[in-house]
Amino acid sequence: MSDATEFRSGEAVHYDTRSTGRWIFSHLKRYLWLPILAIAFSIANNFGYSAVQVLIGRGFDVLTRPDWVTRDLLLVAGSIVLAALVQGLTGVGRNSSFEFLAQRIERDARAELFESLLGKSQTFHSQAKAGDLMARATNDVHFLNLMFSPGLSLIIDSVFSTLVPLAMVAFINPRLLLVPSLFIVGLIITVRVYNRTLNPVTDEQREAFGELNAGLADALEGIETVKSNLGEVREGAAFARRAGRLRDLYIKVARIEGRFWPLLVFAVAWGLGFLHAAWLWHSGVISAGQAVSYMMLYNAFRFTTFISLFAFNLFQMGQSSGKRVLETIITATRLDENRLGRGGRVEGRIEFRDVFFAFNEGDKPVLKNISFTIEPGQTVAVVGRTGSGKTTLAKLVPRVFDASSGQVLVDGVDVRQWNLESLRSQTAMVEQDVFLFGKSIAFNIAFGHSKAGPDLIEAAAREAQAHDFIMGFDQGYQTPVGERGATLSGGQKQRIAIARAFITDPRILILDDSTSAVDSKTEDEIQRAMKRAGQGRTTFLITHRLAQIRRADRILLLEAGRLAASGSHDELMDSSADYRRLFEKV
Amino acid sequence: MGFILDGLESEHYDRSYSDRDLFRRIGRYFKPFRAGLALVGIVIAAASLAEFAAQLVIAKSLDVVAGSSGFRTLALLAAAVIGFGVVEWLFNYARHFLSGRIVGRTIWKLRSDVFDRAMKHDLSFYDENTSGKVVSRITTDTEDFAGVINLVTDFLSQVLLLAFFFSYLVRISLKLSLIMLAMAPVAFAVAMAFRKLARFVTMNAKRVTAEVNGGIAEAIAGISVAKGFRRERTLWESFKKDNQLSYRFHLRRGIVLQLIFPAVVIASGFGNGLIVMAGGGLVRSGGLSLGQWFFFMQAVAYFWWPLLNIASFWSQLQDGLAAAERVFSLIDREPKVKQCSPGDPAEPAGAATASWTGAAPACAPQPVRSGGLAVSFRKVRFAYSDKELVLPDFSLDIPAGQKLAVVGATGAGKSSIVKLLCRFYEFQFGSIQLGGADIRAMNLDVLRGEIGLVAQTPFLFPGSILDNIRYARPDATDDQVMTAARHLGRGDWIDDLPEGLKTETGHRGSAISMGQRQLVSLARILLKDPAVFILDEATSSVDPFTEAQIQEGLETVMQGRTAIVIAHRLSTIRNSDRTIVLEKGQIMEDGNHASLLRAGGYYARLYDTYFRHQSLEYILEQSS
Repeated sequence: MSDATEFRSGEAVHYDTRSTGRWIFSHLKRYLWLPILAIAFSIANNFGYSAVQVLIGRGFDVLTRPDWVTRDLLLVAGSIVLAALVQGLTGVGRNSSFEFLAQRIERDARAELFESLLGKSQTFHSQAKAGDLMARATNDVHFLNLMFSPGLSLIIDSVFSTLVPLAMVAFINPRLLLVPSLFIVGLIITVRVYNRTLNPVTDEQREAFGELNAGLADALEGIETVKSNLGEVREGAAFARRAGRLRDLYIKVARIEGRFWPLLVFAVAWGLGFLHAAWLWHSGVISAGQAVSYMMLYNAFRFTTFISLFAFNLFQMGQSSGKRVLETIITATRLDENRLGRGGRVEGRIEFRDVFFAFNEGDKPVLKNISFTIEPGQTVAVVGRTGSGKTTLAKLVPRVFDASSGQVLVDGVDVRQWNLESLRSQTAMVEQDVFLFGKSIAFNIAFGHSKAGPDLIEAAAREAQAHDFIMGFDQGYQTPVGERGATLSGGQKQRIAIARAFITDPRILILDDSTSAVDSKTEDEIQRAMKRAGQGRTTFLITHRLAQIRRADRILLLEAGRLAASGSHDELMDSSADYRRLFEKV
Repeated sequence: MGFILDGLESEHYDRSYSDRDLFRRIGRYFKPFRAGLALVGIVIAAASLAEFAAQLVIAKSLDVVAGSSGFRTLALLAAAVIGFGVVEWLFNYARHFLSGRIVGRTIWKLRSDVFDRAMKHDLSFYDENTSGKVVSRITTDTEDFAGVINLVTDFLSQVLLLAFFFSYLVRISLKLSLIMLAMAPVAFAVAMAFRKLARFVTMNAKRVTAEVNGGIAEAIAGISVAKGFRRERTLWESFKKDNQLSYRFHLRRGIVLQLIFPAVVIASGFGNGLIVMAGGGLVRSGGLSLGQWFFFMQAVAYFWWPLLNIASFWSQLQDGLAAAERVFSLIDREPKVKQCSPGDPAEPAGAATASWTGAAPACAPQPVRSGGLAVSFRKVRFAYSDKELVLPDFSLDIPAGQKLAVVGATGAGKSSIVKLLCRFYEFQFGSIQLGGADIRAMNLDVLRGEIGLVAQTPFLFPGSILDNIRYARPDATDDQVMTAARHLGRGDWIDDLPEGLKTETGHRGSAISMGQRQLVSLARILLKDPAVFILDEATSSVDPFTEAQIQEGLETVMQGRTAIVIAHRLSTIRNSDRTIVLEKGQIMEDGNHASLLRAGGYYARLYDTYFRHQSLEYILEQSS
C-alpha cells in the first residue's frame, strides 16, 4: 500500500502488491492451510472415485469366476458403497475448504480495496468514476472469489481426477497408459485452440451488447426529445442495426461452441482406449475385470473434458479482475498527512501566492497565477462562469488539492507545512451538491463531530435555521433522510449541511453555494444562516446569488482560471464590464 | 454447469396470460422456423441415440470378447465406438448451430418488435415504467425468452437419453430396471429438498450483498464529506460490519450449495452397490450376461444428473415464461395517443371532440403557417391516471406570435398543457387546435415538426454538439448548424467550448455545463425552425454569466414565433407579452407582470414566494 494515505484502519495485513499474481498469492498465503487441506481432500476424493470404478471391475472378475459365492460379491458391493462414502465426504471437505478460502479472499480483498479508497486523496476521488470504483469493489472482488471457488477448486480437481485415475490405470497395467496420455495431449491442444477461437468473438459480443444497451438507454431516457424532434424512425434503424450485429455474433458463438473439439478428441480416445484394453485382455495380459475397470476409469476423463474449459475461464476472469482491483489499490496519491506539521489554532488569514493548479501534470492548468490575501474574519465572494475554477480555488485551502506551483498560506504558513488533521478539522466546507448519508438527520449533523450529543446537534441546527423544519417532522431529529437525502427538499438539505459544518466550529468556512431553486422564503432563511455562519470566521462564498455577492467584503472575479478582477461591489461596478452585465439583466 | 441451481430465484409472478395463450404467442414467433425446429428435434434424438449406441457397443463387446474372437472383430467394435462418438459430436454441432440460428433470429425479431412498440408509446407509458425497466425487457427478457428453446432442447436430449437407456434396460431385465427406477423418487426428493434449502440461503445472501454494495456506493459518493470532516473511520467501521456479515452469509450459501454434488455421489454409490448385488444374482441364474451387467453399472452414472436436471426444469421454464410474458405485455399494450390515419374519410372529423376511445380519425390538411401559429385549448379535460384530474376544464387562446408566460406552484398543471399540445399524452375531453386544425386530426410528425420543445433538463445524446444540434434536422450542413449556434446570444458560448461545436458531450451531456446544455438545446430548436416554441424553464439556475447568454438566446429563438414559456425566472415573465397564473388546472389570473402585481392577487402572492429574491430590490435590501 502506498505510504501517502489519508486513512489507516490500523488492522490491515500487508499484501504484496508488486504484481497481480503476487498479490493474489499473498492473499492466499494468509490461509495456506486451506488449499493444502483442499488438495489432500481432493486426492482422497478422486481416490474414492477411482476405487469405485476399479471395484466395479473387481465385481466383474468375481462374476466371471464360475464358483463365486455371495460373500465375495457382497464384499465388492460393500467396498463400493464405502468408497462412494469416502468420495462424498472428502468432496464435502474439499469444497468447504475452497469455499472458506474463496469467501475470505473476497472479504479481505474488499476490505483492502475499501481501506485504500478511504485513504486516497480527493484529487483521486474527484477524477475517478464512482460507477467504475463501485464495479471494482463489488463485481471484480466477487470474481476473485469465483476464481478460487469453483475456479481453482475445479482446476485442482480436474488435475487430480486425471492423475489419480492415471495412477490407477498404471497400477492395473502400465501399458494401458498409452491412450490416456495421448488423450491428455490432445485435450490440452484442442482446449487452447477452442479458447482462442471463442474468446475474441465473445469479447466482441460483450461489446456489441454494451452498445445496444447504451443506445437503448439513450433513446428511452430521451424519449421526449426523440419524439418532439421526429427521431423515432432513425432510432429504430439504429437499434435494428445494433440488434442485428448481436444476432450475427450470437449465431457465430453458437457455431464455435458446437464445434467443441475436446469432445471429439475424447470420443476418439475412448474408442482407441477400448480397443487397447480389449486387445490386452484378448492377449491375456489383463483380466476381463481389469479391462472393465479401465473403461470405467475412462469416465473420469469425460469430467475433465467438460470442466477444464469452464474452470480455466473462471481463473482467467479472476486474474483480470484481480488486476483491476490491484490497480486501484496501488494508485499513488500525492497528498501526505504531515503528522509532524504545524498544529494549533487557525487564525484565518489566507494568502495565495502565484498559484497554478492542474489536475494532472501536463494538463492545461485550471488556475493560473492567482494571488490575493484575505484577512481573518473577512468574507470573500468568488464569482465567475461555470468552469472558471471557483470551487477548485477554494479547495486548495483545506488541501483537497495541492497547488501545482506557487503557495497557499494559512496564517503565513504554507498549507503543506500544516498537520493535515489540524488544518482540515478547522476548515469546513458546504459543498455544491449536498451529500447526506442515508441515516437520520441527527447522524448527518453529528457527522462533523465525533462526540456530538443532542444538545450540540440542536444548537448547530438552530444556528443553521434548520431546527424549526426538523421539529416539523414526526420523528424530529431521528427522521431518516432517505437515500442521499431524497426525502428532503434542496433548501432543507442545504441547511442540514450548514449545521454539519457549524458543529465543528470551523475557523475557515467554505460555502460552495448550491444554486438549486429555493423559493423566496427559504432564500431568506438561508441568507440569515449564511450571515451568521460568516461571523468571526474567514469565509469563502462561491455563489451565483447577487445578494450574497454584494454583501461580501471582497469579490474575486475569475475568468478561465485567471483572477480577472477583485475588489468590493462598487469598485467592480466601476471597473469591470463583465461584472456590470450581471446586474443589467436582473 | 447450470444444473439444478438455475431458476433458484424464480418468483411467483402474477401471470395475466393463460399458459395456452402464452404458448400460442411463443409458437407464433418460432413458426417461421418450424422446419428448423423439427430438424433440431431429430438431431437431438440422433445425438442421444449415438451416445447410447456407443455405450451399448462397449457392453456388448464384453460378451463378444469373452467368446474369444480375432483382432478384426475388436477393431471393428472399436471403430464402431469411435464412429458413434464422432457421429454424436457431429449431431451436437448441428444442434448448436441450428438452434443458435433460430434463437439468434428470434431474439432479433422480438427485440425489433418490442423496440418499435416502445417508440410508439406515449409518455404516460414511461411515467408508469421506468426506462431502466423497459431497457431490461428489451435486452434481458427477450434473451431469457429465447433461452426457453435451449432449455427445452437440453431437457429433451436428457429425457431422450434416459428413455433410450431405460427402454433397453427394461428389455434386458425388468427386475433390475425396476430397482433402478426406485432411485428416481429418491433423486427427486433429494433435488427438491436441496432446492428449497438452496433457495433460502441464496435469498439471504442476496440481501446481505445488497446491503454491502449499498454501503460501498454511499461511501464512495460521500467520500469528500467524510474526508472534509476527517471521519473516514465512521465509514470504515460500518463497512467492516457489513463485510463480515456478507462473508458469513455467503460462506453459508457456498457450503450449502456444494452439498448436492457429494450427496449425489453417495447416493449413486449406494445405487451401484445395489445393482452389483442384484445384478450378480441375475448373472448367476443366467438371467443376465456379463456385458448386460456392465451396462447397468454404466447406466447408474447416466441416471442421476439428468434426473436432478429434470427436477429443476419446471421452475426454469417458469422463469422463461415469465420473461416472455413481460415482453408480450409490453408489445400488446396499446399506445393511448393514436396516429391519425391518412386518407380515411370514413371517420367523421367531428368525432375528435367526443370522449377519445375510438379509432384514429382521418388526417386533416396541414395548417398553413404565417409567422407562428395560433394555439387554442377548448374545454380540455385531462387526468394522468384515473385518480387525479389535472385539468378539469381548461380553455385558452394564444394568438399567433404571442409570447405567453405560464406561472404557478408545483402541480398546478403547467407542464401538462404543453405536453398535451405535443400529444405526449392523450386528453379525455375537449379539443386542442394548432393553426385552426385539431391536433388529433394532424399527422404526429407534422404536428411535432411545428413545435420546438426545450425540456426542463435538456437531453443530449452522446456525440458532438454539432450532432446534437442537428438532431431535429439530420440533413442540415455544418454551416447551417454554425449559423444557428452563432445566432444565440452573441455566439461567444461556442468559443467557450474546448473544441467548439466538435466538442463531445459525454454521457447525457456531462462533459459540458448545464448552461451550455441549455444553449445546445436552444440551438437545436433554432435550427428546427418551428412555428410554436415551448420552453419548460429549468428550475435550477446556472451561473449569472451564462444566464445572461441564455436570456439573449431565448429572445432570438422566440422571434416571430408563438411562444409558451413555463417560467421560473422573473426576467422571463417581465419579457413576455402575457402571463397567466395557473392553480389546480385553472387560470386564476391573466395579464402582465406589472398589472398582475398591482392587482395584488394570486400572482402577487406567488411573486412573494417564488420570484421576489430574484429582483434587484431584494438584492439591494439584502446586501444593505
